Amino acid sequence: MIDRIILGHNQFFGVNHLEAQAGNEREAYFSDAARIMDIINFSFDHGVRAMMMSTHERAFVVSEEIQQDQRLHRELGIYLLVPYVAKYIKQANEKGLVNIVKDSLSGTSFQDKMGMFWRGGVGLLTKDFKKILTAMIDFEVAPFANLNLRAIFLHDVMTDLALGWDVPEVFRLYADHVQSKYNAIPAFCTKNLGKLMRLLARAGVENPLIMASINKLGYQVNPSRAAFEQTLREHRLQLLAMSTLAAGYLKPQEAYEYLFSLPNVASVVVGVSKKNHAQETFATIRHHMSPGKLREPLPAAAHELLA
Amino acid sequence: MLNVAVVGIGKMGLLHAGILNGLEGVKLRAIADTSKFLLGFAQSLKDDVEIYDDFRTMLDKSKPDAAVLATPVFLHVPMANECLQRGIPFFLEKPLSLTSADAEPLVAAVEQRKLTTMVGYMMRYVETFAKAKQLLQSGALGELITFNATIYVSQLFKTGKGWRYDKKESGGGVVIGQATHLIDLLRWYFGPVSFVSAHTRNWYSQEVEDFAHAHFEFAGGVTGWFDSSWSVRHHRLLEVSLTLHAANGNLMVCDDYVKLYLDKPAAGFPAGWTHFMKPDLFEGVEIDLGGPQYTRQDNAFIAAVKNGAAVESDVRSAYEVQRIVDAIYASAAKHGEPVRL
Repeated sequence: MIDRIILGHNQFFGVNHLEAQAGNEREAYFSDAARIMDIINFSFDHGVRAMMMSTHERAFVVSEEIQQDQRLHRELGIYLLVPYVAKYIKQANEKGLVNIVKDSLSGTSFQDKMGMFWRGGVGLLTKDFKKILTAMIDFEVAPFANLNLRAIFLHDVMTDLALGWDVPEVFRLYADHVQSKYNAIPAFCTKNLGKLMRLLARAGVENPLIMASINKLGYQVNPSRAAFEQTLREHRLQLLAMSTLAAGYLKPQEAYEYLFSLPNVASVVVGVSKKNHAQETFATIRHHMSPGKLREPLPAAAHELLA
Repeated sequence: MLNVAVVGIGKMGLLHAGILNGLEGVKLRAIADTSKFLLGFAQSLKDDVEIYDDFRTMLDKSKPDAAVLATPVFLHVPMANECLQRGIPFFLEKPLSLTSADAEPLVAAVEQRKLTTMVGYMMRYVETFAKAKQLLQSGALGELITFNATIYVSQLFKTGKGWRYDKKESGGGVVIGQATHLIDLLRWYFGPVSFVSAHTRNWYSQEVEDFAHAHFEFAGGVTGWFDSSWSVRHHRLLEVSLTLHAANGNLMVCDDYVKLYLDKPAAGFPAGWTHFMKPDLFEGVEIDLGGPQYTRQDNAFIAAVKNGAAVESDVRSAYEVQRIVDAIYASAAKHGEPVRL
């Protein structure tokens, strides 16, 4: 079943949705992987047995550290987020989209491994999005494939791009690939829950696991908090709630009282960077997470999620 | 249903196509690009969109109600002219042109024909920068004295590849490529510029500048400077920050917050600090792809195409930004000698 509390990862990589300056400082602090491992171990000791992980290059180090620790390797559930979109946006600014593709295919710069992947798995100059998408997922997941992968989330930029372009096939293809190749739960991150649920229904993906921002303030909740709540009431889904503290703007007590008053909230991801905050936050979540309010746990096998 | 065509399926073209197609009453009808790979990819993804390797053919055959031009800078004016000749309203990614002289006839012809246009200066649609504009308009600060501003991102630490680093195709480096966002904000906040003095520095790039520093005197009296670079460390995202000193207090604005300080109450604001954090200012959008500011911007463009609503960031406004860019480069070429606009 899906973990109820999942340790977030943004703080380790300098993402801060309230203050870029604070994010940059935290990024510097966590440039020492030992400090990341310290928070992971501390959280584990306090009953948080799962973490989100994006395929940021710093995560490669964390992944290796986890594999070297018997306890973590065996018991820590990983919720992986792919691809690491910021990397590709940066490269698009640096050399344009076409050059990313060209370089990947030739393997001369950027990453030889990526070129190898594309040559082997995709064939030169394929224009078939299905082959490109699955090769991209495999490339991104490869360094983490030995971890205890519970779910693999499609990054919100990719999800929402497919949503805007209105291509339901992407969701079906992604779900089938993640399920068959990794036996993990195929999941989606989005900034547009209502629209996504309507498109997933068309794609035949039922009762999906979705990660989305929701908080009492309505910060980063689209198109509105009221519409988001209505989607939760009207659709069958398992919500992994993120940005529940509105980037640290809300106090945990107030934030979780609101969050767990909502239907279909299966789990919550929370980013902590200090031990005393972590302890307080975990305790507050557990206090408000009354079992009666939660839906049935998610099935472990991914295929049960799909139609 | 409003049919939209997009020219250039790079990062920004993909984004605008996705947002516009996701809006009620708007449909992505056609795309054009010279990359057969990107066109083929897009077609395999979405078979109900028309694809063209020549944008003129697309405009003629597809006859879109509006076009988005998201191509390298040197193509902006020629492509905008093709839209103009056919009377197709266009949204053009920033900046407007390689130089202001390049765009002059276009701007005049657009105004004569009263064609709806928009240039992609999206910072105006970021909540905090929009709030700062309101605070400035309230008059609470009294007379404005001086400002300092920065625009930084950690992007380039080796020789860049592609059109952005080729002066013939981009018109220049960090000033025209990124600082124009800030220049547009400064013009929006403070009005026309009368003098510019600037210095630039290449380091990672051969042809274009990676660092730029410019001092301004505005016709309205305020003076100040900006510092810009895409080659500074510790800025994961493009970050803009501005501090303004005025007779009755000061104002600080960045992507995350607006902070107002007043010596005495004015325009309904108390003496002392008033803070507006981003969560206070957030309003959801119909579809969020890459940030709500892009959706607000595209909504403003669509409203202008549909109902003739006014567009503040049109080709005329972008042309004024371009004149400031020209002045910065002219001054930098003469070691900071002041250039009058």
